[in-house]
Parts: sequence; C-alpha cells; structure tokens
Amino acid sequence: MNETLNLWAQSLPQLLMATIKVTIPLSIIAFVLALVVAVIATAMRMGRIRILQWISRFYVWLFRGTPILVQLFIIFYGLPAIGITLSAWTSAIIAFTFNTGAYAAETLRASVQSIPRGQLEAAKTLNLTSWQTLRHVVAPQAMRIALPPLGNDLIDLVKGTSLVMVITLSDVFQVGRQIAATNFQPLTLYIEVAVIYLVIFTVLSLIQGRVEKASSRYIRSTNA
Amino acid sequence: MLELKNVSKSFGDNTVLDDVDLQVREGETTVILGPSGSGKSTLLRVMDLLEVPESGSLRINEDGVEFGSTLSDSRIRSIRKHSAMVFQGYNLFPNQSVLKNVSLPPVLNGKLSAAEAESRARELLGKVGLGDRLNEYPDNLSGGQQQRVAIARVLAIAPDYLLFDEPTSALDPELEAEVIKVLVDLAEEKRSLVVVTHNIQFAKKVADRVLFLDNGSIGFDGSPDEFFASSNERIRRYLTTFEVA
Repeated sequence: MNETLNLWAQSLPQLLMATIKVTIPLSIIAFVLALVVAVIATAMRMGRIRILQWISRFYVWLFRGTPILVQLFIIFYGLPAIGITLSAWTSAIIAFTFNTGAYAAETLRASVQSIPRGQLEAAKTLNLTSWQTLRHVVAPQAMRIALPPLGNDLIDLVKGTSLVMVITLSDVFQVGRQIAATNFQPLTLYIEVAVIYLVIFTVLSLIQGRVEKASSRYIRSTNA
Repeated sequence: MLELKNVSKSFGDNTVLDDVDLQVREGETTVILGPSGSGKSTLLRVMDLLEVPESGSLRINEDGVEFGSTLSDSRIRSIRKHSAMVFQGYNLFPNQSVLKNVSLPPVLNGKLSAAEAESRARELLGKVGLGDRLNEYPDNLSGGQQQRVAIARVLAIAPDYLLFDEPTSALDPELEAEVIKVLVDLAEEKRSLVVVTHNIQFAKKVADRVLFLDNGSIGFDGSPDEFFASSNERIRRYLTTFEVA
C-alpha cells in the first residue's frame, strides 16, 4: 500500500504536467473551434442555399461516420503523401475540431428545430428580420436546449484526446504508459490516469450543472 | 383600407380560398365567422402574409402586392408593417420577461428607443391589467394573461390593423372574458380590428361588420343585425350549432 502511494506521489507531477500541457489545452482549443465549425455548419444546413446544405450534410456524414482514430491517422500519416505535412499538434487540433464539430452541429440543428413554429410566426408578425429572430428568439432558447448535449460532446472530446499518443503527442495517458513501462506497475499507473480523467469529468459536470441552471431561469420552477 | 382582390389559396388539392374579394375599413371591428375549415384563419393569415396566395392582390394603405411570383423578404416586411397578428396559442417568447416581450419588438423595428419602448410597454401592460407582472416569464402566467401580453405586444408596434386568430379558443370561459374585455376596449377606441372567432356574443355585441366565410368564399358581408336575422340556410345552420347545449 505504501509502495502504491509512493508511486502515485512520484508520478503525479509528470502526469499533471502532461494534463496541463496537452490534454487540457487540446480539449479547450478543439472545443472552441468545434463550436465555431458547428455554428457555421448549422447555418449552412438550415439556410436556403442548396449547395451549402449539401456541403454541411457531407461534412457531418464524413466525420460522424469515421472513427476519430482513423481521422488522426489520415491527417497525420496520410496527408504527407500528397505533400501536406502537419505537426502532431496541428493534426490533433484539426481532427478533434472537425470530429466534435460534426456532433455539435447535429446537436445545434436539433435544438433549433425544437423551437415551436408559432414563435417564428410571432417573430414574423412583429416584423423582425431573420437575423433578429435568430439573435433574440431562436439562439437563446436553442443554446439552453443544446447545453446538456454539448457538455456531453465536450466530455467525449476530453476522453478522446487519450488517442493522441498514436501521433506522437505526450498526453496524460501516454506519459502514464511511459512511466508504467519503466516501473512495471501498469495497474497502479493506469488507475492514477483514470482518476485524473475522473477529476476533470467531475469538474466539467459541476460547471455544466451550474451553466444549465443559470440559463434556464425562465422555465417554470415546477418543470425545472 | 385593407383590400384583397381575387385571392385564391390552395394547400395541395384543397382550395381554401376561392377568388375572395374583400375590403376592411379603418376604425371598424370586422368579425369573420364560419364553420371549421371554411378558410377563416387562412384569410386572416393572408392579410399578414403568413400565407402567400397563388393569385390575387393585397393592398394595405399605400402599399400593395400582386401574388403569383416569389416575394422577397424585404417586400413582405414592407407590407407586413401595417398589420400584426394575435394567435390562438399566444406565441410569446418564453426566454423573455413579460416586459421584454412587449418592449423589444418596437426597438428592433427601429420605431422607438429602448427607454421609450419600455415606458410604452409598461403603459400597455397596465392597460391590459398586467402592470404587476412585468418581470414574470410567460410560462408563469395563465393562458388569459399570456394572451393579454400578446395583445399588448402587438399594440406596442402600433400596426394599422390588428388581426386576431381565434384569440380565446384555447381559454376557459372566465379567462376568455378577461381577453374579450380587452378586445371590447380596443373596439371602443375605434381601432381597426379583424377578428376570427367562434364567440358569437362578441360578434353580436362588438362587431361593426360580420363576414361569413363558407367553403373558401364570402357568403355574407354586412352588419351583425342583418347577419343574425339572415334567412340564408347555410348561416342558419351555422348559427344553430351554437344553440345546441
């Protein structure tokens, strides 16, 4: 038992460093960019221009329909064959951005479509422009509806970043593997890695709960 | 003057409005009656361009439009500024407080500053008896209260014509009464109202003019007294449906 605790204490700084240097920044950067991509893809999908609708559908189909691991391999190991060589970081950001963006785009589309038609008619009769309707009626409600599933997309993203070791990045899991390989204590190390993910997950869940509460203040209290 | 000429509208094979001609005069309460499926709501929605007919024309005051070709959003909005609709289902924006529901549209329309719109909204909400519910959200109000907010909301943008699409059909009788009272006040102020309703008493007491719609055509156009005394068989049959209790 003492040995296990010692091992954890010794390895923790390295693991935390990898978490702070790779896992967390990669998750944050990819998630922010994914939200931008998702908004653009949703706007294209719900707009009136047919060709943009198809591009958006194709994008979502492509990235939801293939494993993130395959996407990482194609971008990092495959693209150099056609002269596009990207760093491991850039590859990871691109893959996770577009992968999470595809899921988030589906989430946003479903949220927008769940706004009752009558409200859109009310916006029309009040002579609001499409942009004003989006800005003041649709987006605030759609965002509230989208928050729980978007939170789940973020959590999936954080856990998914454990795959970046395959393209040479040293995230928390990769560093855990390296330490386990030198001290032959895989169970101890991998449990430690798992605990670090659980801590991140717990923090994100707490934030998610608070944000949802703050954004749903207009909902009848008996339904909340 | 709001004028429809030769307006026809179909949904698939179903002809809902069949070559309708109609003029709504300013300062009058025009009540549209008729059996279910006769095209009442569609007729009202055409006046606000929430439905665009296949043919005919609409003219409101100095602005007019010919149907038959695609209308741009800006064209639709330029006509629609003359009218506003109150819906059966209220359709308030649940993410905005009662005050905001009423004060925001005139600001977005560029008609009032935020401060002017707010004081106007307070005044209008007071008028419909909701001066003490300004900071509530719509979901916390009764149906009758929500509908009164919806009425204040259209009054805030000051359209020439106020259109009511079965405004009390979703309400219990006592809640209906509080909404009807607001409508009666508006009629007494000589606002231009067009009301689709099943409330025969309202038509009898408040209407300046009754239109009876039957199978997509106007089957009667005249005063309430003439309407309720009519010997027309379709009208008699329609009116007897309200007598059965």
